[in-house]
Amino acid sequence: MGFKYIGKDVQYRPDVLERVTGEAIFIDDIKLPGMLHAQILHPKYAHAKILSIDTLEAEKMPGVYKVITGKGWEKHYGDCIKDMMPMTVDKVRHIGDAVAAVVADTEKRARDAIKKIRVEYEPLPVYTDAMEAIKENAHLIHEHSDEYFHVSPLYEPIPKTNIAVRYRIKKGDAVKGFKEADVVVEREFNFPLMSSAAIEVHGAIALFRMDNTIEIWTSNVGSFAVREEVAHLFDLPISDVRVHVPYIGGCFGYKSDPSLGPLIAYIASFVPGHPIKLRVSRQEDFTSTFLGRGIRTKMKIGAKKDGTFTAMEAKLYLSTGAYADTGSNVLIVATQSAGGVYEFPNADVTGYSVYTNTPPVGALRAYGHPEIQFALERLVDIIARELNMAPADVRKKNFLSVGKSNVVGEKMKKSDGNLYKCIDNVERAIFPKEKPKEDENYYYGRGIAGLIKSPKAPTFAAKGCHIKFNVDGSVSVNMAGADVGQGLFILVRQITAEALKLPLEKVRVYNEIDTQFSPWEWQTVGSMFTFQGGNAIIKAANKAIEMLKKNAALVLHRDVSVLEYDGNYVYDRSYPDVKVPVSKICRGYIMKDGTTIGDVVQVSSDFRLPGAQNPDPETGMGRTGVSYTMGVQGCELRIEKKTGKVIIDNFATSIDIGRVINPANARGQVVGGVVMGIGETLMEEIKFDKNGKLVNANLLQYKLPTIYDMPGKQTIEFVETHDEIGPFGARGIGEHPMVGVAPAILNAIYDAIGYDFYEIPLTPDKIKAVIDGDMEVR
Amino acid sequence: MEKITLVLNGKKETIYFEEGDTLLYVLRDRIGLTGTKFGCGYGVCGACTVVVNGEAVRSCKVLFKTLEGTDILTIEGLTDGEKLHPIQQAFVDANAVQCGFCTPGIVMELYALFGKEPDASDDRIKEVLSGHLCRCTGYESIFDAAKLAQKTENYSKQDKKDFESAAKLAREYMKKSRKEEK
Repeated sequence: MGFKYIGKDVQYRPDVLERVTGEAIFIDDIKLPGMLHAQILHPKYAHAKILSIDTLEAEKMPGVYKVITGKGWEKHYGDCIKDMMPMTVDKVRHIGDAVAAVVADTEKRARDAIKKIRVEYEPLPVYTDAMEAIKENAHLIHEHSDEYFHVSPLYEPIPKTNIAVRYRIKKGDAVKGFKEADVVVEREFNFPLMSSAAIEVHGAIALFRMDNTIEIWTSNVGSFAVREEVAHLFDLPISDVRVHVPYIGGCFGYKSDPSLGPLIAYIASFVPGHPIKLRVSRQEDFTSTFLGRGIRTKMKIGAKKDGTFTAMEAKLYLSTGAYADTGSNVLIVATQSAGGVYEFPNADVTGYSVYTNTPPVGALRAYGHPEIQFALERLVDIIARELNMAPADVRKKNFLSVGKSNVVGEKMKKSDGNLYKCIDNVERAIFPKEKPKEDENYYYGRGIAGLIKSPKAPTFAAKGCHIKFNVDGSVSVNMAGADVGQGLFILVRQITAEALKLPLEKVRVYNEIDTQFSPWEWQTVGSMFTFQGGNAIIKAANKAIEMLKKNAALVLHRDVSVLEYDGNYVYDRSYPDVKVPVSKICRGYIMKDGTTIGDVVQVSSDFRLPGAQNPDPETGMGRTGVSYTMGVQGCELRIEKKTGKVIIDNFATSIDIGRVINPANARGQVVGGVVMGIGETLMEEIKFDKNGKLVNANLLQYKLPTIYDMPGKQTIEFVETHDEIGPFGARGIGEHPMVGVAPAILNAIYDAIGYDFYEIPLTPDKIKAVIDGDMEVR
Repeated sequence: MEKITLVLNGKKETIYFEEGDTLLYVLRDRIGLTGTKFGCGYGVCGACTVVVNGEAVRSCKVLFKTLEGTDILTIEGLTDGEKLHPIQQAFVDANAVQCGFCTPGIVMELYALFGKEPDASDDRIKEVLSGHLCRCTGYESIFDAAKLAQKTENYSKQDKKDFESAAKLAREYMKKSRKEEK
């Protein structure tokens, strides 16, 4: 099929001019009449009872309108587990909790007043790791976790423990599977807590009006989720809460759950009539929004002599943080992804989401997938060694392909992708010639890893699309997808133009999200927009074309079935001269005497993952993924002997994404995702002291990759196995490039120095210690 | 409130401020020039970079009271509202803008660099870019954009500031050099 816009590098993104000139309005750029500023008091302790809060001095400070605490508030919120409150009451559970807030005329005065609030605490034991908090007799972080509302039966806590959710997958008979194995390997892995750390920090504004409606502006990709949480908190009809989403300066996960929305709404409820703005500091962006990752995995796999996998067993421990609503989804997804790109006929996987005294875990690009596939892909390399097989050969032996079933028992379809093509591409890029021999300065290594990801969302998650034909034949497209930099708006323009056979200039994509006008969507997450949003556009476009044809049928006195649409005209297929221009029929047709007939062409549509189901509560089996995307990554690297520094010379990624819609943007997602993955693998880690204080909550000590950390070269090849469901055969690509990076690098490090690491980030000092013989080299 | 006089985006201005105000605070919160971004508040991320007397500075670290008589250029002063500056155009052409939050700072950094060192080496370009954090692009396209911008600026000098044809020449040059790389 020949496309006009799909698969083409189409210039320009409709939003690029605003972004490159600084005209784009982000949350902190918004100033409203009468606006006041809020600042938050955070606790001295990560776990403590609040004995008293004295706000008297703070209330007397200049410019102060109100000092607010959580006292007297009872209502909890949360999507799957309602264990959160907008402001903490009686107890603090992590260092970023909100103990009190000040509203003042300027941010500085609010900050000054915060310092005058006196709080008496009774410290409690602090757990910063799931392995401590899960111990018997550990102090309970939530005493009555079983009394919280939770979505049954998937999100059941274990009462009188810190376990917020236990999630199991039982496929076949793992015990029997391990008996059939000739080789079994087992290791423990750690993927520590990290931050999405977008360059734009979180911010929000809320306004309570006299008529009891609430208006919110927030840097959040889940506009409708924020609206529902806030309406729930204040017992209002959802339609009485209006949420605006301005441009967002990077999301990477942590701006998808309703982070500041409920808090700012709670604060604003005490100062009705004034918009209240909260912009967090970089430190609060680490401590008081969401962290990501934080999973320890104990995994065992078995294989026959020929390399065929027989069974896997794994236990996952997520340090979910002080609140488990968002983290538990990360845990469930990780558990469901334990089998990676391989078929295991038998599997027994149990995940624990454990309350800890750390900031809550939420989404972080591809959440759940990198954490567990890091363990699995490392273990596959280790078992290959035991089997005396090449790592690539063991992988090829067990790859998921048509008819094989993944770890949740879903049979793979052709359109889920072709891993064999992907691994060929990566092998060609990484192993074209002999590896350089160790020299005076460097060790050299090469490694690969597979990757798989499915959207992971509630079964009802959908994207909506409104298309409106204007009288000049141009169209306006209105969707609630947030463009956080991934190039969503140009994708909407390309798909609409293709589906409606219009030139790009005639398609205007609305760039403002406002729950008052935007069609409903769940959240712009899970690399789902292309798949769901793209299909919603095509559905809407087809509806619009049908309406145009109906109108044309009235005008041309023809049956709808003989009419064709070409973007400019609707005409009789057999007699193309019998035609009417679209511009004459898109608002109905005006006859000579003014009588108007036909319908106004404005349509609404939506699309969700077809047939997605909840898993079986006993076994975890079920159609939970529906649409999978798979691929392979690999790298060539050098380790500098003097320093232990890892230098990545070439990083290769090959992913089967069905169809590339915009090549430049698709490449951009991979290049950026790989570098973010390199950051996680080699430098990023959230660190706590024993009191639960986050000691590197700044960009000086929490190191993000710079231009010096980009690989010497990135080789990127997309495989395009047409997807039966995706728009023009396409699927998403935003998160996938993160998934295989860490294991590919660690496998290459083993290849270089013969040492197995099981934990990231691998800072030069850790590698240097091994090179110097301070740690045993196997 | 105190006041000082300086040149801001080509216009002489007298600006009121308070003792401890940073340049970033004055730009964003007092004057409403919000193109310059807050990212960290301690000069690490580079999002707040503006040009003062031809030098790139981190505006979150500069006290406003020290700027009497200076010449300040922000992202808002770079365009005439009709046409992008060649550096901005290069960012668009090289697909170096994703969320765009770090973009104004990087553009201003390169403006200062190419003003002083039009023939800056690749290593030198990387050195100044290493002071800017971008979480989206992985830097590849940003480096490409910087090279493209450098070429365009140099061509446009040769061609008597005919920016259109200079940009075209630069793009062709970049395409060619990329092919040779492969």
